[in-house]
Amino acid sequence: MSRLSSLVPAALGRPLSAVGSVLLLVAAMLPWATFLLNDGAYPDKATLQFFDAPFALTGYRWHVLLFGVAALVITFVPLPGKGRALRALGFGGLAISVISAGFILSEGGGLGAITAADGATAFGSIVGILGGVALVLGGSAIGIGDIPHWPDSPFGLTGWAQRLLAWAVLIVSFVALLWLVSETLTAGGTSGVSNPYAGPIFLAFLGMAVGVLAALHGIGFTRWLTSLSERHRAFSIIVLVLCAAALPFTDAGTQYWMTVAGTIGIYAATAIGLNVVVGLAGLLDLGYVAFMGIGAFVAANLSGSAASKLGITLPFPIAAVIAAVIVGIIGAIVGSPTLRVRGDYLAIVTLAFGEIFSKSAQNNIGDLTGGANAISNIPPIAVGDLGFNEPITLLGTKLPPGVLYYFLITLLVGLVMAVFANLKNSRMGRAWIAIREDEDVARAMGIKTGQAKILAFLVGATLAGLAGAVFAHKLGTASYDAYSFLQSVTLLAAVILGGMGSIPGAVLGASLLFVLPEKLREFDNYRLLFFGLALILIMRFRPQGMVPDRIRRAEFAGETAEGKPIEEVQEQLVVEHELDVPKGGKA
Amino acid sequence: MTTLLQQIANGLVLGATIGLIAVGYTMVYGIIQLINFAHGEVFMVGAFGGLAVWRFVLPEGMKEDWYVALPLMLVGGVVVSVTIAMLMERFAYRPLRNAPRLAPLITALGVSIALQEAVRIWFPDADRSQSFPRVFINTQVKIGPVEIPATGLLLIATAILLGLLVQLYVNKTRMGRAMRATSQDRDTARLMGVNPDRVIVLTFVIGAALAGIAGVMYGMHVQTLGVRAGFQTGIFAFTAAVLGGIGSLPGAVIGAFIIGLVERLGGQYLPGGTAYAYVWVFVVLILVLVFRPQGLFGESEKVRA
Repeated sequence: MSRLSSLVPAALGRPLSAVGSVLLLVAAMLPWATFLLNDGAYPDKATLQFFDAPFALTGYRWHVLLFGVAALVITFVPLPGKGRALRALGFGGLAISVISAGFILSEGGGLGAITAADGATAFGSIVGILGGVALVLGGSAIGIGDIPHWPDSPFGLTGWAQRLLAWAVLIVSFVALLWLVSETLTAGGTSGVSNPYAGPIFLAFLGMAVGVLAALHGIGFTRWLTSLSERHRAFSIIVLVLCAAALPFTDAGTQYWMTVAGTIGIYAATAIGLNVVVGLAGLLDLGYVAFMGIGAFVAANLSGSAASKLGITLPFPIAAVIAAVIVGIIGAIVGSPTLRVRGDYLAIVTLAFGEIFSKSAQNNIGDLTGGANAISNIPPIAVGDLGFNEPITLLGTKLPPGVLYYFLITLLVGLVMAVFANLKNSRMGRAWIAIREDEDVARAMGIKTGQAKILAFLVGATLAGLAGAVFAHKLGTASYDAYSFLQSVTLLAAVILGGMGSIPGAVLGASLLFVLPEKLREFDNYRLLFFGLALILIMRFRPQGMVPDRIRRAEFAGETAEGKPIEEVQEQLVVEHELDVPKGGKA
Repeated sequence: MTTLLQQIANGLVLGATIGLIAVGYTMVYGIIQLINFAHGEVFMVGAFGGLAVWRFVLPEGMKEDWYVALPLMLVGGVVVSVTIAMLMERFAYRPLRNAPRLAPLITALGVSIALQEAVRIWFPDADRSQSFPRVFINTQVKIGPVEIPATGLLLIATAILLGLLVQLYVNKTRMGRAMRATSQDRDTARLMGVNPDRVIVLTFVIGAALAGIAGVMYGMHVQTLGVRAGFQTGIFAFTAAVLGGIGSLPGAVIGAFIIGLVERLGGQYLPGGTAYAYVWVFVVLILVLVFRPQGLFGESEKVRA
C-alpha cells in the first residue's frame, strides 16, 4: 500500500480527504438511477432527488451519507490512526458505490442508467466512486502509520470502575455485533428470494460493514477490544453466548435463517476442528469432510431411521458419542501415514482417503450409506416429546421451527471453541505449533512428533464426527454427496480465509463461505468460479487470512501490523509465553 | 483369458493417457516442488481446445479428413493448454514462489476450480457432457483375440514416443541441463547463468503441451468430454507420478501404465466391480506413499517437508 501513499504528497492528504468526504455526502443525495428498474426501484429511493425528500435516505445511500459525515469529522479531529480510518471509510464508500453502480449499469442497460438519459440525470454512483477514491488517496497520503495502542486502563480508572467500564464496553460491542449479524442476514429481504435486488443490497451492506470494521481497526479499537475480552475471558464468553442465543429474537428469527444459521454453525464447528489439524499442527488435510460424513452415517444408522439396515435405535447423545469415538479412531488410522510422509504427500494421502470414502458411500458399502438413495427420514433429536424441529414459545415470543437446533448448534460451537482454545494454550498445542514451524527442530526439542500428529488427527476427526452426527439429524438425511471433495476444499478455504490457527477467523470464514451462496442466489452459476478466483487472490494478497493468529501474522508478514521487525516481536512473544505458563495452571 | 487380455489392452490405453499428463506433474514437481493440482484441468482445457477447433474452425469439407483435422485439433489443444499453463504460472504460482508451502497448493486448487467453472460457463453447452468427434481412423485393430481401437494404439505410441523425446531433451540438450540444475539448486543454477524463471515457464509449457495432446487424443478415443474429466484423470496422473518416483520421467510413464492396469483389472477382478475401480487406484496410492514414499524409480528420500 506504500505505492498508494506515494501517489499524493502528504500535504494534500487532508484537503483530499475533505473533498472525498464531501463528495460522498453529495453522492448520497444525488439520484443514482435515471429511471425505475424493471423490478421496481433499487432500493426503494434510488431515483430520489434529495431536495424532494431530504430525510428519506435509506439503505445504501444512508450508509454513504454516514460514511461521508464520519470521514469529514475524522479529517478535522486530531485522532491517532486517522490515515487508516479514512482509507478504510474510503474503501467502504467505494465498495458500496461500485457495487450499486455496477448493478444499476447491468440491470438498467448501459451507462445511460447511471449518467443522464431522457432528461433525467443520475450521477450519484459516479460521484460516490470519485469520493471513495479521493478518500482512499487522502487517507493514504495522511499516512498509514502504526495502529495506535489504547491504554488498558483508560482515564486512569482502577479497580471496580475499570472492570465495570470494560464490561460495559464488551456488552455494547457484542450487542452491536449481534445487531450487525442480524442486519447482515436480513439485508435485502429475509429469505433471499423475495427481493430481486437481495444480492447487490447484501453486497453493498457487506461493503459498509467491512468499511466500518476496518475503520475501527485502524483507530485501534478492535485491538483494544480483543485485549479487553482476553482479560475478561469468562465474562465475554458468557456475553457472546447470550448474544448468539438472542439472535432468534431479532429480525433474523425466521425459520429460513434459523436453518441457515444452524448449518453455518455446523460448518463453523467443523472448520474449527480442521483448524486443529491445519492451523495448529500444519498438516494439510484435503479429505477432512469425510470424517464429518462418517459421523453423519454412523449417527444415521443408529437413529432408527427406516432406511437404515441396522435397525438399531439409540438416543441421540449416545449415538453422537459413538459416532465421535468411531470417527476419532478412523482419524487416528488415517493420520498414521503422517509418521512416514510429510507435507504435500500427506495432503495427497488425505485426499485419497476422502475420495475412497466418497466413492464407497456412493456405492452403498456394506448397506451402511444408502448409496444414491441416501439414508433419509432420520428422526429429529427429541427431548421427551419435544422434537427439535418444532417451533417453541420462549419468554413470550413465538420462535420458528429450527430454533432448537440453532441453540444446540450454538452450544456445540461454544464447546468446540472451548476445546480449541484450551488445546492451543496447552503443552500439546505448543507442540503442534512447534511441529508446524519445523518438524525436525521440534523433534530435537524432545517433542514426540508422531504421537502429536496422530493426536491432532484424532482430535480434529472427533470434532468433525460430532458435528456430522448433529448435521445428520438436523438435515434428516445423510447422503454421500454432501461430503464431497468440494466441501473439503470449502472448509479448508474457510480456515485459510479466516486465518489459520485463529478461532474468530474460522467462524468468520465459515460464515462468509456458507452465507454468501445463500445471499447471492442470482449469481449461482458463477459461484464456484468466484470461489476459485477468490482462493487465488486471497493467497496472493492476504495469505495470513482476515483475522490472523498473531504468531502466524508475524510469520507471514515478516513484520507485524505495527511494522515492528519480526525479531523484536518474537522476543516479546517468548516473554509473554513465559509469563503465561505459571498463570495457566498446569499447562 | 480373452477378458484378461482385453482389460490389459484397455489398461494400457488408459495408462498412456495418464502417462502423458503425469510427465507434466513430475517435471513441475521436480523443479519447484509444487503439486500442480490444476494440471488435470490443463488436460481438460486442451481437449476442449481441440473440440473448439473441430467445431468452430474446421470447414465442413475437412472434418472427415483425419490428416487435416487431427493435426489442426492437436495444435489447437496444445495452444490452448500451453496458454492457460503459462498464464497460470505467471499469475497464480510465480508470485507465491517464496510463500509458505501451503499457499501455492491452495492456489492450485483455486485455479483448478476456476478453470472447470470457466469452461462450464463459457464453452457453448459445456454444462452437459459433449460428444467428441473421432477424426482418426475409426476402426478396431485386432491383435490376437484382443480388439483395440486405432485411436488407442495411437495413444500408446504417442505416450511412449513423447515420453522418450522429453527424456532425451532433458538429458541431452543445453536447456535440459539447465532444468536439471534448477531442480537441484535454484540459487546455484542462477549463479551459473541459468534463468530459473525461463526454465520454470518452459517446464510448464512442455507439461501442458503433452497434456493438451493427451486431452485431444483421449477425447477422440472415448468420444465424450465433460468439464469434470480433468480432475479424476489429473489425480490418477499424480498417483502415477508418485508411484514412479516423483521427478523421474520414465518412472512417471511406467507408473501411469501400472495405474491404468490397476484401474481396469481392479474393476474387473476385485470385489465391488467397476464401481470400485477408482477406489483401488487410491488404495495403491496410499500404500505406495506409506511403504515406499520415494516411488519405484525415485531417488531415496531426502527430507521432504
